[in-house]
Amino acid sequence: MFKYNFIYEFKRLIRSQWIQVLSILLFAVFSFAVFNGQQKTQKRLEEISSVKEKLKTSEAQMLSVLDSIEQGFQVSVSRWRLPSNPMTIGNKHPRLVEMPPHQWTFISTGQSDMYSHYVKPTVQANDFELSFTEMTSPTQLLFGSFDLTFVIVYLLPLIIIAFGFNILSYERESGALKLLASQPVSLTFWVFQKLVLRFLWLSVIVILTLYLIFSGNGINIFKEMATFFSLIGVICAYMLFWFALAFLVNIFGMNSAKNALVLIGLWILFVLLVPTVINQVGNTLYPMPSRTIMVNKMRSIKANATKKQDEILDNYLRDHPEFAINDSTQNRTFWHRYMASQALIDKALKPVVSNYNKQLRKQQNWLDKLKWLSPSMRVKAALNNTAGTSTTDYENFRNQALAFSEQWRKHFIPFLYNNTPFSSKDYEHIPTYQYRQKAHSNMATIGILFAIALLMFAIGLLASKNLKYKMNLTIS
Amino acid sequence: MEMLHIHCMKLSCATSFYTMITLDNVNKSYGDFKALKNLNLTVKPGEIYCLLGANGAGKTTTINLLLGFITPNTGTISINNINVQKSALKSKQYLAYIPENLMLYPNLTAVENLNYFSGIGGKSFGKKALETFLDDAGLQREAFHKRLSKFSKGMRQKVGIAIALAKDTKVLLLDEPTSGLDPKASNEFGQLLKHLKNKGVAILMATHDIFRAKDVATHIGIMKEGELKYEFETDKISLAALESTYLKIMDYKTLEV
Repeated sequence: MFKYNFIYEFKRLIRSQWIQVLSILLFAVFSFAVFNGQQKTQKRLEEISSVKEKLKTSEAQMLSVLDSIEQGFQVSVSRWRLPSNPMTIGNKHPRLVEMPPHQWTFISTGQSDMYSHYVKPTVQANDFELSFTEMTSPTQLLFGSFDLTFVIVYLLPLIIIAFGFNILSYERESGALKLLASQPVSLTFWVFQKLVLRFLWLSVIVILTLYLIFSGNGINIFKEMATFFSLIGVICAYMLFWFALAFLVNIFGMNSAKNALVLIGLWILFVLLVPTVINQVGNTLYPMPSRTIMVNKMRSIKANATKKQDEILDNYLRDHPEFAINDSTQNRTFWHRYMASQALIDKALKPVVSNYNKQLRKQQNWLDKLKWLSPSMRVKAALNNTAGTSTTDYENFRNQALAFSEQWRKHFIPFLYNNTPFSSKDYEHIPTYQYRQKAHSNMATIGILFAIALLMFAIGLLASKNLKYKMNLTIS
Repeated sequence: MEMLHIHCMKLSCATSFYTMITLDNVNKSYGDFKALKNLNLTVKPGEIYCLLGANGAGKTTTINLLLGFITPNTGTISINNINVQKSALKSKQYLAYIPENLMLYPNLTAVENLNYFSGIGGKSFGKKALETFLDDAGLQREAFHKRLSKFSKGMRQKVGIAIALAKDTKVLLLDEPTSGLDPKASNEFGQLLKHLKNKGVAILMATHDIFRAKDVATHIGIMKEGELKYEFETDKISLAALESTYLKIMDYKTLEV
């Protein structure tokens, strides 16, 4: 039976122009989505490049002034901007802490339109941390950009529904079912074969289309084999899940309109309703503290610390005797007081920021736990991981940025308290940052989705003996 | 009035012979509506049994039961001694079926439709053999490789006949097979049935056409309201007697001319 289904299903799909229309449609939609994704990635690269350029110009000017100072020339720069002052370097000439897009970032906007992908930590407070607390609703991005992930998560199931809603009902409505049912074949198995064949054809079209589009966009698939296959694995597993749903609906023997309605209902359930409900319940269980209150608290903590700066400095020097020198010729400036108070400010701010982040993490954990209730959420997360734009990626970047900020500040503190002027040689040794991409694996997503789909097929095949389409066969 | 040679054969009398189609005390209801009442019927190899009756008499229900599309409330149904209720798929290996309104895949040609349905039924043929079946079914050669979307009802019916022929089974179930066929094609179909009968195929045909039934059948049963009212051996009853009995059973009044 498989051989004949395989040959004639293909002929029928070709002659009804399904395959041609589907190929053109997918090519057009995927191309547009990839174009959109590339535009966003390009914009992100340009932003980073523009900031880098500005920092480079400012660095060149600073090094030129520093060189003049070291050669004993008078320079017309205000005391606050003198590059021989280490705090000027630490505050005005930061390193760029960037999270550059990688080759596959274009497939999913993910959280990139919510979080900052570059920061410039200075010796001052970590105000940039606020850039990482923009998000209050992790799933609101489900309704985001028209990128490849959007097409795969939202549109591909609709195409599958259009492709597989009338497998048995077409035969009944066209009158071919009775002749078909008089053959010594199980109708359920026949539907199963037809849907598996359609899954195979659609997979071939999707893989070829993506291969062409990716190659056209300069991606060397053979070099990026692992990522490409991981991506294809996720897409195929997700498609198989929808074909398995179509199988379960088709074998109930309803008419085409009812099949379509039920499948659209399931699409609404899995793609829209479940993510929204999970998100709303997450918001109710773990409500986000007000961001305004957090900012106000931060300001008030800083204001209090400023008032007590002299006292704080004394305490700080008591705790750090290595910086407490008995040289009356040296002044204790704003920076000495500021940096002394910074540790206290950080300590006081920690619970405020961490409370905010904790709630966000709780929401995220809640979503992670329940993500399997909606395969579309799981697939979106997997594609975000592949693109490097997932919440985990931004969390990773945030932690790296905070660690670098701490390293940056600590580098300048000995210069400040030892009253050591900054030199060109010192500049060569200042810390630099390199983003370390978090490794993700989509194997669990692929494996579990395939298992769910196979389980649904098995349930359908086993339960088919008692299905009522046998009754419906008599309705002419 | 001519004396009717009516043989009301009880199934129990026939079970001592080898039967290809057997319905034993079969009842079928749809809610309160009793579609079949204690139906007993047998068809042996080399017999053509025509079921006559008005719409709703239970002819199609009988065929649907034999095909395993529906299950009886009580009674036993078997094809080639295989219980249809227990082994529907196995019993279908021994039967071919031509429905009243045969629809096939419109974007496949006649040869392709024949090849597809034969293939999924487990029979594989070469192009020549497929064309021979279509030829035997009476389809004109120029239509063999045309898509069915352009076929008339009669032409589609002929493809259905070819599918049944290709299956080469011991049992043939026909539900109003000549509806839509022109008289010539209808006649050719009758000849074909006789040929199959001579080959030992057991044929059960539901029809309204008394004349065709008289022409081809070895046995005729008249159904009314789910009951098999009369059974005849065709060669023991004249066409006029058959017609008058049929009209009498159906309570039809003939026009006085």
